[in-house]
Amino acid sequence: MKWHVMVDARMVEVDLAALPDIEEVEPGVYSAIAEGRSYLLRVAHVNNAHVVDVDGERLIVDASDPHRSAPRRRGVREGRLDVTAAMPGKVIRVLVSEGDRVEAGQGVVVVEAMKMQNEVKTPRAGRVASVRAVVGATAAGGDILVSIDQ
Amino acid sequence: MFRKVLIANRGEIAVRLIRALRELGIASVAVYSDADRKALHVRLADEAAHIGASPSSESYLRMDRIFEVAHTHGADAIHPGYGFLSENAEFAAACADHGVTFIGPPARAIRRLGSKTEARRLAKQNGVPVVPGTEEPAARLDDARRVAREIGYPVMLKAAAGGGGKGMRRVDTEAELESAVRDASSEALRAFGSDEIYIEKLIVNPRHIEIQLIGDVHGNLIHLGERECSMQRRHQKVLEECPSPLMRTRPELRDRMGEAAVKLARAAGYANAGTAEFLADDAGNFYFLEMNTRLQVEHPVTELVTGVDLVHLQLRAAAGEPLGLRQTDIRWQGAAIECRIYAEDPDHGFFPSPGRILHLTEPAGPGVRVDSGVYPGWEVPLDYDPMLAKLTAHAADRPAAIARLLRALHECAVTGVTTNLSFFRDLLRDPEFAEGRLHTGFVAEFVERRPRYAPDTLLDRLAAAVAAVHTRDTEPERPAADPLRYSRWAREGRRSMLR
Repeated sequence: MKWHVMVDARMVEVDLAALPDIEEVEPGVYSAIAEGRSYLLRVAHVNNAHVVDVDGERLIVDASDPHRSAPRRRGVREGRLDVTAAMPGKVIRVLVSEGDRVEAGQGVVVVEAMKMQNEVKTPRAGRVASVRAVVGATAAGGDILVSIDQ
Repeated sequence: MFRKVLIANRGEIAVRLIRALRELGIASVAVYSDADRKALHVRLADEAAHIGASPSSESYLRMDRIFEVAHTHGADAIHPGYGFLSENAEFAAACADHGVTFIGPPARAIRRLGSKTEARRLAKQNGVPVVPGTEEPAARLDDARRVAREIGYPVMLKAAAGGGGKGMRRVDTEAELESAVRDASSEALRAFGSDEIYIEKLIVNPRHIEIQLIGDVHGNLIHLGERECSMQRRHQKVLEECPSPLMRTRPELRDRMGEAAVKLARAAGYANAGTAEFLADDAGNFYFLEMNTRLQVEHPVTELVTGVDLVHLQLRAAAGEPLGLRQTDIRWQGAAIECRIYAEDPDHGFFPSPGRILHLTEPAGPGVRVDSGVYPGWEVPLDYDPMLAKLTAHAADRPAAIARLLRALHECAVTGVTTNLSFFRDLLRDPEFAEGRLHTGFVAEFVERRPRYAPDTLLDRLAAAVAAVHTRDTEPERPAADPLRYSRWAREGRRSMLR
């Protein structure tokens, strides 16, 4: 069975019938032996993606079973972009309202966590379709804050 | 000695204090907020009491609740740790009123040294150098010119009423002074409603070096040498070491700075643990900045190099026992380096990254010390400082300590939250860091030249394979799945039902 897996932004094909030498040694911890070298990989499922730690590097891996679901394109729908909270925090300020035009890189919401304020920016330009962030409310990681029509 | 001590703190420092108390046969009382019911310090303490909601203003800063717990649990002393109430003179004084001992300096010493201007005045009176500059605002351009000539260029102009960079100007030569004074004054006037300007000597690329002090109530006060804390991001320390690499070329500096710090602390009537912070330059000049009247985050560095347990000494000193150490007893062995592991993203401006810790591997082996406040399954709360643990390595010299810390970092892993571990791996391999040419702007410069991860096809392939296997094995079973993939427990269960 062949899976198409995204590692950071790179597509990697995985054949489950011909895997490298991988053993789960502790829950979420895998020992791999490849080309005579020993690797330790740690997998965590965070915000709908796998984070794999290997050799001190942190790779964001999107692996979904091809028989269960079509490949997901998170956050992107027909011309619509959802700006989400990258981490949990408290919404301090909402900087845009419905119908506003926004430029790529413009701040839309200010979220505070651990006494640090972070301005969440839209990666693309467009018009604000809806604002879901509420001042004073706590946003979980991955929550949609603002949707933007492109 | 005390029978029972309340710890008015949380996280790794609360764990550190509980360990010392247990070693001395003293019972510990932990206090906790809503967010900390399952925290490591609560798990490890002998007794524990809830003191309020998660925000620190409703829990760890509530003196009334802390005193109430001290009474009901019969604690005879309170250790404040660092942060929270640790440098609050009012709290230190109130302890006496409530019949418990404050484990720290006398309230009046905290008061005298807590005010920056008062501490600076005390330093000058006692011949401890401070950053040269004017005490009073420079009224006219003539005054500014005279002062700048006296202290030497470059100088910094600062708004008397303000902060945050407004009204600040760096001036390198006298030719620039007139227009800089004019600009800074008008900027200060607009920002703060006052055009008064101070002049201070600009210390270019200073090192941040601090001196650890410990004293008893019988007049014994000694220093335990320095820690170099120049590695900072957002004015917060991330890596500390002893000896300072500066001591290689200026070995006399430890004694000179140590003596200056002892003199100042003596003048303030100091006892217990404290730290005098200085700016220093490579020419061997040093300038007193401020006094931290408490135990420092980075105290393990000093403990490893001197072999002294600072928390044990704090407890003994607070109980009125003599220090039992003279200055000449203190020896510095090898080198120690500590890094502060934070739940933060080094690739995105060190922004905090709270969440649940899924997996945690703590390093071990020779010369490695871990001071951690977390465990797998622990949810890092949003309400407090995002430091998870401190990792400290001790070895024969600085290169060996760097190699040992790198080895420990290789063993160390945290998943579920993003940490700055990868940042330390890169920093410790940096040639300029290895040479010890440190200054407070080092981290900001290093972030710019930090090597990026170069994608590696083998690592990509392994990561992809592991993620695919993990997904296959952890997602719920499909109804038509291969029966061989049912767990043995499930098969066993079905078989027993068919019997």
